[in-house]
Amino acid sequence: MSKIVVLGAGISGHVAASHLRRKLSKEHEVIVVSPNSNYQWIPSNIWVGIGRMPSKKILFPLAPLYKKKGIDFKQAKAISFHPEGDEKESKPYVVAEYVTGDKQGTQEKVTYDYLINATGPKLNFEATNGLIPGKNKTYSVCTYTHAEHAWNGLNKVIQEMKQGKKAKILIGTGHAKATCQGAAFEYILNVEQELRRHKVRDMAEVTWISNEYKLGDFGMDGMLMSYGSITMKSSEMVEMIFEDRDIKWILGAGVNKIEDGIAHYENLEGETKTILYDFAMLIPSFSGHGFKAFDKNNQDITDRLFKGFMIVDADYTPRPYEEWTVQDWPETYQNPSYKNIFAPGIAFAPPHTISKPRKNKNGTEIFPSPPRTGMPSGITAKLVADNIIDSIKSGKESLKHKGSMGNMGAACIASAGYGLLDGSGISITTFPIIPDYKKYSDTQGRHLGKTFGSIGLAGHWLKLALHYAFIYKAKMKPFWWLIPE
Amino acid sequence: MRRISPIQRFKMMNPIIQLFKFFILSIKVMVIVAGGHGGTRKAN
Ligand SMILES: Cc1cc2nc3c(=O)[nH]c(=O)nc-3n(C[C@H](O)[C@H](O)[C@H](O)COP(=O)(O)OP(=O)(O)OC[C@H]3O[C@@H](n4cnc5c(N)ncnc54)[C@H](O)[C@@H]3O)c2cc1C
Repeated sequence: MSKIVVLGAGISGHVAASHLRRKLSKEHEVIVVSPNSNYQWIPSNIWVGIGRMPSKKILFPLAPLYKKKGIDFKQAKAISFHPEGDEKESKPYVVAEYVTGDKQGTQEKVTYDYLINATGPKLNFEATNGLIPGKNKTYSVCTYTHAEHAWNGLNKVIQEMKQGKKAKILIGTGHAKATCQGAAFEYILNVEQELRRHKVRDMAEVTWISNEYKLGDFGMDGMLMSYGSITMKSSEMVEMIFEDRDIKWILGAGVNKIEDGIAHYENLEGETKTILYDFAMLIPSFSGHGFKAFDKNNQDITDRLFKGFMIVDADYTPRPYEEWTVQDWPETYQNPSYKNIFAPGIAFAPPHTISKPRKNKNGTEIFPSPPRTGMPSGITAKLVADNIIDSIKSGKESLKHKGSMGNMGAACIASAGYGLLDGSGISITTFPIIPDYKKYSDTQGRHLGKTFGSIGLAGHWLKLALHYAFIYKAKMKPFWWLIPE
Repeated sequence: MRRISPIQRFKMMNPIIQLFKFFILSIKVMVIVAGGHGGTRKAN
């Protein structure tokens, strides 16, 4: 009998737990430890943040589903890792602290045979002075509660505009090394469309602020893509969209301080600037959760498990940008020191960024951190689950399933406005996610046939279809496993 | 600044054209996403 503990019930944790449960007989235990009582389909937060979708449509409670499926659920947060056990406990364990109910505040040693760390990112608002969701007129859409607040804030500004007050709207990244530009990009387009729907577009100045060097970088060094019958750079595509919608932009900006309606930033030229706003949605930097790890003698071994995020089978040797290769990126998400620990999704430490690192004359680094979107998060979680299942069934370690982001495609279906007949979407597919400059040397590291962009209503329908399909899958309804990650 | 011409915009928002696009897009996305993945270290 094996006991598999999954930390986190986001996209990757939930995918891993559901596949493990489906493929392993009931003698094996699958335990999920996660502080949030609900599963949330994060990509649809964009629509919660513009008031077009209630948050109850993007979430459901985990406990009843897990009970029905035979997955043990502890509504708790992991605090420390003890991969060798300790003097009293011979098995490896994590310490988890319950966050609700009678056990709230109590800590428990949760032992395991296999551990999947799928705790995603810590939304590191503290890294930017004054960036607090719901304060200083800044908002976030990273969780459904943040998105609800964002809609309240935006709606207030829309109502003021209806009364004749002009407004400045600022959307983008709230830190010099933030990631997730795709989500902010979706949000700015949705907000812009909503302003038109509310007939206040002419009252608003909408500005994109980002740590990207060029538009359309998306933390992936941009991309060359097929667009209809032509080949276009992602920067050109985004520029076309922004100009068409009268969205201004500020690039190479590292936001470092927020005051009520004022964003302070430093740019790549080394200048210190400010921009005023009435409503801002700024993505914070993402960091690891600051977990600690200890060996059996209670000695701190955090650096064997974590490098901010969790260390996996990546090549972390520091090298200049020109020497980076796709081979640096992990394939099995296994921790090299403790082979029964894995970290799929955002929880693993990337070997380096994907976008070219840039520093200004003051020494401030301003460039996007590497994104790990929903699809790779799901795919890497499934392959981790499959390797654990094979290892349990064969009785010996199996790492047959591999999935490097350098040999994996991703689709980013960015909503550009909500509405069954007047909605829009910008669909961008990328293969591979990590550019392979050797293999695809004359197309900026990507396979052109598989890297394409498309704009239109179909994209909105596709995003909506994916919303329903993934919630169906997450609810583990009949044949859910046929829907790919 | 109008960067998308009226004819392009018509094509982008016409439900009939977009319905075809939806099917093509879904298949293309499926092929890329579900079309397999693997390692990179041995292959190169
Ligand atoms: C607004 C927004 C829109 C997005 N849109 C898209 C999109 O359109 N397409 C796309 O592909 N991707 C999109 N993404 C990215 C996508 O949401 C992420 O890639 C994905 O959620 C990552 O999954 P994950 O499981 O690694 O992390 P998460 O989804 O963040 O899950 C982490 C889990 O760990 C839990 N946890 C946290 N701390 C602990 C702890 N101490 N112990 C135990 N559990 C813990 C959390 O409660 C959560 O359940 C979007 C992201 C945002 C913010």
